[in-house]
Amino acid sequence: MRACEPIVEGHVDRDGVTLGYQVFGGGEPSILLLPTWTVIHSRFWKLQVPYLARHYRVITYDGPGNGRSDRPLEATPYHHSAQVAHAQAVLDATGTSRAVVVGLSMAANWALELAATDPDRVAGLVVICPSVALPAGRSQRSDHFAPLDPLPDLPPSAVPAGGRDPAAQWAKYNLEYWRKHHEDFLWFFFGQAFNEPHSTKPIEDAVAWGLETTGEVLAAHHSPGAYPDEATVRHWCGQVSAPALVMHGDIDQISPFARGRLLAELINGQLVALEGSGHVPLARDPVRVNRALREFVERLT
Amino acid sequence: MRALHPDQSGYVDRDGVPIHYEVFGSGEPTLLLVPPSPITHSRIWKALVPYLARHYRVVTLDGRGNGRSGRPTDVAAHTRTENERDIVAVLDATDTAEAVVVAHCHATWWAVDIAAEHPDRVCALVAIEPGVPYLGRSQPHWMEAARRWDDVIENASGWALCTRHGIVNEHRKWVEFFFGAQLVEPHSTKQHDDAVGWALESTGVILAASEEAQDAEPPDRSEFERRCRELGVPVLVIHGDRDVCQHVERGRAFAELTGGELVVIEGAGHLTIAREPVRVNQAIRTFVDRLKGSDVKIQHWTRGLSRRKRALYVSSPIGLGHARRDVAIVKELKRLEPDLQVDWLAQDPVTHVLKAEGETIHPASRWLASESAHIASEAAGHELHCFQALRNMDEILVANFMIFQEVVEEGLYDLVISDEAWDIDHFWHENPELKRGSHVWMTDFVGFLPMPEGGEREEFLTADYNAEMIEHVARYPRIRDRAVFVGNSDDVIPESFGPGLPKIRDWTEDHFAFSGYITGFTPPDPGDVEGMREELGFLPGEKVVLVTVGGSGVGRALLEKVIDAYPIAKAKQPELRMIVVTGPRIVPESLPNHDGLQVHGYVDRLYRHLSVCDLAVVQGGLTTTMELTAAQRPFLYFPLHNHFEQTFHVRYRLDRYGAGRCLDFATTDPDQIADAIVAEVGREVSYLPVEIDGALRAAELVSELL
Repeated sequence: MRACEPIVEGHVDRDGVTLGYQVFGGGEPSILLLPTWTVIHSRFWKLQVPYLARHYRVITYDGPGNGRSDRPLEATPYHHSAQVAHAQAVLDATGTSRAVVVGLSMAANWALELAATDPDRVAGLVVICPSVALPAGRSQRSDHFAPLDPLPDLPPSAVPAGGRDPAAQWAKYNLEYWRKHHEDFLWFFFGQAFNEPHSTKPIEDAVAWGLETTGEVLAAHHSPGAYPDEATVRHWCGQVSAPALVMHGDIDQISPFARGRLLAELINGQLVALEGSGHVPLARDPVRVNRALREFVERLT
Repeated sequence: MRALHPDQSGYVDRDGVPIHYEVFGSGEPTLLLVPPSPITHSRIWKALVPYLARHYRVVTLDGRGNGRSGRPTDVAAHTRTENERDIVAVLDATDTAEAVVVAHCHATWWAVDIAAEHPDRVCALVAIEPGVPYLGRSQPHWMEAARRWDDVIENASGWALCTRHGIVNEHRKWVEFFFGAQLVEPHSTKQHDDAVGWALESTGVILAASEEAQDAEPPDRSEFERRCRELGVPVLVIHGDRDVCQHVERGRAFAELTGGELVVIEGAGHLTIAREPVRVNQAIRTFVDRLKGSDVKIQHWTRGLSRRKRALYVSSPIGLGHARRDVAIVKELKRLEPDLQVDWLAQDPVTHVLKAEGETIHPASRWLASESAHIASEAAGHELHCFQALRNMDEILVANFMIFQEVVEEGLYDLVISDEAWDIDHFWHENPELKRGSHVWMTDFVGFLPMPEGGEREEFLTADYNAEMIEHVARYPRIRDRAVFVGNSDDVIPESFGPGLPKIRDWTEDHFAFSGYITGFTPPDPGDVEGMREELGFLPGEKVVLVTVGGSGVGRALLEKVIDAYPIAKAKQPELRMIVVTGPRIVPESLPNHDGLQVHGYVDRLYRHLSVCDLAVVQGGLTTTMELTAAQRPFLYFPLHNHFEQTFHVRYRLDRYGAGRCLDFATTDPDQIADAIVAEVGREVSYLPVEIDGALRAAELVSELL
């Protein structure tokens, strides 16, 4: 059972792609919780929605490729400019002229672009563990990163059995691997994302959401130009005028902490450094994240 | 002693009336604290100034008619306009372009006028129990007083004293009644003493004149309401809901009209700034910080399971005895919990011991107001009225509690250990929602006891303090997760807490665990004594008398008297040698000298000397006398006059051990001291043994909470 049911559910058609959205609560202001990489869908906000909806109006939606949205197999709907247009379409469809925009990981790009290019719509900007093209030093991930290589030959993930995978398995971040071993990739990936001890439930949740889509969809998402480059990100940062908050776990293995710190500086935002937290603190440290969100929003109003 | 002294002070002349002001701190913005003069003056803000000045620049003034300002007596000199001009003049004199005005009671009316007439000077208003006309509900006793203001009521009492005749002729009676009526909270004796004392620095003539001038020629209701509605600055109203001066409905109406926030403090009366200083400080801070916007760019938060165990140790700085026992406890605690990080919130002289031991002193320690300097300032000759000294330390306790609370909120401590850190225990019971982490309360005595000289008043006061503490613990057992008595239950005095209150020992047995005594060192084996004497330079056959008064600076009178006794005793006992240790606050050269007498300012590890001397002459403090008891040394001790702890608690404990000879300083002359020295020096003693595992037992009691 869900802790909080939506008061409105609907779909919006955007350039031929149908996107499902939900609205919770009715307070002021509106909070737009962006989707993130197609590998999971909007249920990843499940630990925030009931709390935030008690105080504010909360809007979630699924991006193309997962949840209650279409699963296109061409690249265009996944491009960052399309993602911003999806967000604007959902704001329009829900009659939301202005919202606090919150994005996790990859969605930090879309949140930044929205805040930079449509400032009247963004009352506040929150990014959590941003996966953006800002330099953050070498990581274990980047050493093995080869998405377009031929199918790598790797053993199955140890995560289902409670183990940990070596960094060499980042070679599973590979389009062919996704197509052939989608579920194994999910176990590996979420083992990396949830690197805090005792994370079994969030890993199981995320794998299950991942299985609602396919490796083909992930592959379609990963097209050239889908992600903005560093110069573009820096340009947006310079244009952000809304009050901003960055949260970042300092043991994040997907996007290093230094990236969040730099981003906070570039957008003159407040930084909440989550020590001992990984890439998805909203699932693993929901109380702290909820309270930080509330404090931030309260200060806006 | 004040918790914080001003960085700047001065007078501004207002047509011949000097207006005194003080400036504290240097942060942004400036807060101007306006007292409702002349019934009180700027000291009414004493529990707020040290805290606020740590974050902002704070300006206070004494309104005309009280404090260090002039005392005009004409009604015409006390109008609202004159008071408002005083306030603006202080803003000018202190180069304050604009300020957050914090006003109590009728000073709020002045603040509203200033905000209307000088909108650029007031950036926000904090109105505490605001006294403004028309709004909300008027108190019937004030309406009645206005009606009969010109009457002459013989033998008046209560509100009937509030006539021109009553205030002029029965000024003390009126202010005692008035503040008694305002302090509706039980256990408000100190706040009452303070408020009456400040009121009596003015006169009935001035107070009556100001009463007539304050309400004269008021704006009409709609004009005043318009001013409130158009104030145009953020407003915070703080109001006790049992206020009998300004009804809480007045505060509520003022907040509504001005679009302000309202903080109602339930159960509180008209003087929340004195009686609920922690809540008021925090409410003002939250409000002002919101005006400023947050300047905290980075917040760190560590996941629960990623945190190292951390304890904050707060050791009483009054005397050095606590420091040594607390260090001994921490050494044992770190053995039991090797990963434990211990930070100390400590001040001089405790910090000297901690630095020598390599302990970690929290950087916020530098902000602490000095408790030991306060105690020294309360002492004179061989006297320290330690109960009154503690009462008079109220503003220092609030100031230091506010620092502690910030440290504990930021530090994510698992545990707070407070060894007679009165501020923590008291204010966590008063503000239980502020508690963080587990709390171990530690003390070596329980119960305030009256000194005979204090008469009935002191009997009442000590019982009232005890009653408050008993109520605190009964109502909030969760504030002390563990209470540790440093000693054994037999050491607890079998007296009563006061009329109608339990026996101290019974209550202590019910509410404390007992660690046994903690000396902080192991006394030498009898076989090692000769070797240690040699090492310390004691000659064979020499009878060494050690005289020491500890580190508090209280004790020159005793040292001088004992030094006077030295030649007399030396004549009777030629092998006598006397070593006097003055402590850091008495200059050795300032004392008289005699042949064979050595005077030192400081002696490293003095307990070693004490543990092998032939006689010690000391004050009645627990630490030193128990060290001597543990080492089985003969000693003379002189409890400080009017020091209830030394007079009753320590003496009771020493008598149980059969240790020491108690002498009364006032009635013992140098001849008698010399006789006592000769009789006691080198005497074989056989006291009850003192345990040596107290620190370990205390550490075990603490570590169960980790």
